Amino acid sequence: MEMSKELTLHINGQTYEFTIGRKLGQIPESETLLETLRERLGLTGTKLSCGEGACGCCAVLMDGKAVASCVTLTAECGGKEITTIEGLADPVTGELDPIQEAFLEHNAFQCGFCTPGIIIAVKSLLNANPHPTEDEIKEALSGNFCRCISHYQVIEAVQSIVKGGEQA
Amino acid sequence: MKNFEHSNAASFEQAAQELQAAKYSQPIAGGTDLLGTLKTNILPNYPSLVVNLKTIPDAAYIRDMGDKVAMGALTTLADVEKSDVFTGELKAVAEAAHSVATPIIRNSATVGGNLCQDVRCWYYRYPDAVGGKLLCARKGGDECYAIQGRNQYHSIMGGMHTGHNACSTECPAGTDIPAYMEKIRANDWDGAAEIILRVNPMPMLTARVCPHTCQTKCNQCQHGDSVSIHSVERALGDYILAHADKFYPAPAQETGKKVSIVGGGPAGLTAAYYLRKAGHSVTIYEKMEEAGGVMMYGIPEYRLPKHYVRDLVKAIVGMGVVIKNNTEVGKDITLEEIKSASDTVFLDTGAWKQPILGIDGESLTQFGLNFLVEVKKFMTKQIGKEVLVCGGGNVAMDVALTAVRLGAQKVKLVCLEQRDEMPASAEEIARAEEEGVEIFNGWGLKKVITGADGKITGLESMNCLSVRDESGRFNPSYGEETRVFSSDCIILATGQKVDIDFLGEKYREELKSARGLIEVGEHRDTRAPGIYAGGDAAYGPSVAIKAIRDGGIAARSMSRYMGFEPEVPARDKGFTKFDPERIYVTKGAVEKDTPVAERCLDKEDSTSLTMEEARAEAGRCMNCGCYSVNASDMATVMVALDAEIHTTEQTFKAADFFSVMHSVDQLKPGELVTEIQLPKMPGYRTGYLKMRLREAIDFAVTALAYAYKEEDGVIVDARLVAGGIAPVPVRLTAAEQVLIGKKKSAELAQEAFAAAMKDAQPMKENAYKLQEVKAQIVRSLEL
Ligand SMILES: Cc1cc2nc3c(=O)[nH]c(=O)nc-3n(C[C@H](O)[C@H](O)[C@H](O)COP(=O)(O)OP(=O)(O)OC[C@H]3O[C@@H](n4cnc5c(N)ncnc54)[C@H](O)[C@@H]3O)c2cc1C
Ligand code: SF4
Ligand code: SF4
Ligand code: FES
Ligand code: FES
Repeated sequence: MEMSKELTLHINGQTYEFTIGRKLGQIPESETLLETLRERLGLTGTKLSCGEGACGCCAVLMDGKAVASCVTLTAECGGKEITTIEGLADPVTGELDPIQEAFLEHNAFQCGFCTPGIIIAVKSLLNANPHPTEDEIKEALSGNFCRCISHYQVIEAVQSIVKGGEQA
Repeated sequence: MKNFEHSNAASFEQAAQELQAAKYSQPIAGGTDLLGTLKTNILPNYPSLVVNLKTIPDAAYIRDMGDKVAMGALTTLADVEKSDVFTGELKAVAEAAHSVATPIIRNSATVGGNLCQDVRCWYYRYPDAVGGKLLCARKGGDECYAIQGRNQYHSIMGGMHTGHNACSTECPAGTDIPAYMEKIRANDWDGAAEIILRVNPMPMLTARVCPHTCQTKCNQCQHGDSVSIHSVERALGDYILAHADKFYPAPAQETGKKVSIVGGGPAGLTAAYYLRKAGHSVTIYEKMEEAGGVMMYGIPEYRLPKHYVRDLVKAIVGMGVVIKNNTEVGKDITLEEIKSASDTVFLDTGAWKQPILGIDGESLTQFGLNFLVEVKKFMTKQIGKEVLVCGGGNVAMDVALTAVRLGAQKVKLVCLEQRDEMPASAEEIARAEEEGVEIFNGWGLKKVITGADGKITGLESMNCLSVRDESGRFNPSYGEETRVFSSDCIILATGQKVDIDFLGEKYREELKSARGLIEVGEHRDTRAPGIYAGGDAAYGPSVAIKAIRDGGIAARSMSRYMGFEPEVPARDKGFTKFDPERIYVTKGAVEKDTPVAERCLDKEDSTSLTMEEARAEAGRCMNCGCYSVNASDMATVMVALDAEIHTTEQTFKAADFFSVMHSVDQLKPGELVTEIQLPKMPGYRTGYLKMRLREAIDFAVTALAYAYKEEDGVIVDARLVAGGIAPVPVRLTAAEQVLIGKKKSAELAQEAFAAAMKDAQPMKENAYKLQEVKAQIVRSLEL
């Protein structure tokens, strides 16, 4: 097996060229997407908590769907469109995503550790279903754990944009 | 996570090839299960290569094929739960997919990965980094921690054997100890007898003489005394002998093949039993007056009363085995003659010859084995006053104790080995000391000292520095120190040798091994076609149970050689059970022993347990295996809907694929699941119910996949499969039978539940699961 393989990552609209391998600067085969984001690219908005797919803190969008970056191998992300919490704001104007605005408005967080993952999960939901019911919202967020009980505000925040969408 | 090589597969074939070529490899689909096991490093072998299946084109799809639905292995569970195909009669599939983990996981997790996932037992998944590796039975270790540990999420239906049971693996014959213990707990002594007789036709003898090293490996040693396996075996052996007519029947059919056996010791009698059972005509040539070998002549009466041996021999003769006593092969008849009159021959001539040590005065000593054989003569003759026994094995212990009981005033024992190196079992040593034998460790024989009249007065010995050399071979080295042990009777029990002169010149050259024994292969075949051998003659002096193992192996090989495939007993179906209360008893049963003062030469020292006592002791056996539950929600549904699992090599019925704890163990190296096919079920109402602690994330505490066909409120067909209650999904056939043909009602649901859980055996903390199963049956009926 050859020791270096090209790996092109598309993250938050940017293209990164890496090689896979064990040398300094290369991405080892066993590196998780979460490690690449946080430790290699400094995108620390994505959090590590359980490390085994159970809490949702590390969620990122892969081709528009939320996945757990802690149980995703970076080596398998070539050609995928990855979006992290840092990539939600408009890259030109810096304007936040409506979901982020709604979370601020509704104080839908306390410590905020789980919030990036929750916002990514909401984004994933709205991509597939722009007008979810309350049950659908709860179901879509059932893989995101929050220690501070921000859930009530989170649901209000999400409902506010869904309604807003309807009004517009 | 430790590193590995990684490749992206372009096809299942390529993936299979790469996986097969690497020593340890793993396919990866969504990775949601695999990466967890790699991060915690709990797999027995960490993969050197991980092959990504997600890059295989056209492996994720759901296709309507008319009368069935096909689903690619790489289809994500998110796509399964949303598919229109699974809205109607196959709704159970979508419901099960939806119940898995969380929406985030389901976006990556695949159907194939879900079906192939590893067990979720918390002991199994315990990370190695915290407090070291937890090697449970499922992971190649011995003990299932769930049996006596926290087990609220474990099986309520019993466990499954992991294939390398601690006690059975230690037994040379591989006796299925937990299986016969289970039968005895159920008071099914005939069933227990059938199991033990598969590998050992003389448990009434082995229970009394075997060093039973199985007990040293018993997992109850972690909690208290080992299960007293030999005591239970003894009660079972006595039962078998008491009903000999039932257990040693003449064969129903004769094959017309002729077998001759040279030597009626444990190996020979065992071979005779199995060969005769298979319908061959069997003749044993025995040089002594009676068959039984060491069991008859070597082992003292007080350990093994001869009537047991005689009764066993009688039972075997009753099967139609012919024993020619007082017939010494090599003298009275030649092996050539025997061979030419037989289709196959088995040699079990043991190790009876005295080894020559070459010390001064050796001819004045007695040979230990002869002493034991001729003990009756000694009983009328006067034994020496001060007996000195030389040797550290069980024969030496038998000799020393026999001398004590013959009335010697003082019995001393010298051996080369230090106390902890002595080959004799600890119990035998303790017994000898209890009866006053004085043991001197670390002394080798130098010369026999005689008085003016030529009679023995003692032994000069030299101190032994080490018994074995660096390579572990027997090669004693001695120091300068000497010591004289006074004695008027020296008995040498320093080993026995194999004598193969009886083979005659031609066969001796042909069959001889480098060590002067009979050379045998794995099937106990010798270099001469049709001639087999086993026991001490092939392996040197050892224990009876090894000879019994050889007799069994040889019998199977000989039958095969003569054109008869030996019967393989059908594996017991169903789950292994244990007694949830008695396993906590830490004290093992002890056979009643005669007080030292009353012990003698011609009565057995100890008394067998009663059948009730043995049954209680069998209750301490934990029936070691794995008591986990199946993790996969999809697996349960696949069994209920009678799906087919297609792989790169073959097609499995779901019920077969999920009949073993970890289905992938049934796959060949590199073999991959490619597609799942589900027959459509027009007219059925299906669904999947899952009880768990938290709405998302958690695995099933109990689950029920159901498919009903109803006509006018009457159930005309039902398929019910429960998950989370046993190591594999369980089809509730008994409940189905109750339901079919009846109008549904709450009483019927109760009746179905009672039938389904008739064989349930909850552990300490999980009886609550029964209520969940009941609730799910009720809910499935939409009452
Ligand atoms: C937090 C969490 C909660 C979970 N809860 C549930 C639950 O409630 N119910 C449930 O059923 N599961 C549950 N799981 C397990 C999860 O469903 C499985 O991990 C997932 O479906 C596996 O799919 P995967 O594609 O990610 O498998 P992978 O992790 O990629 O593979 C799993 C195993 O299967 C092998 N494998 C994968 N594909 C194939 C193939 N085509 N042929 C042969 N072998 C293959 C892999 O080598 C590996 O050993 C949970 C997992 C997590 C992390
Ligand atoms: S239930 Fe199975 S996996 Fe769990 S500790 Fe017991 S043997 Fe191991
Ligand atoms: S508890 Fe039973 S199955 Fe387990 S090791 Fe002991 S005798 Fe064998
Ligand atoms: S850190 Fe990835 S799911 Fe918890
Ligand atoms: S806001 Fe603190 S964990 Fe959710």
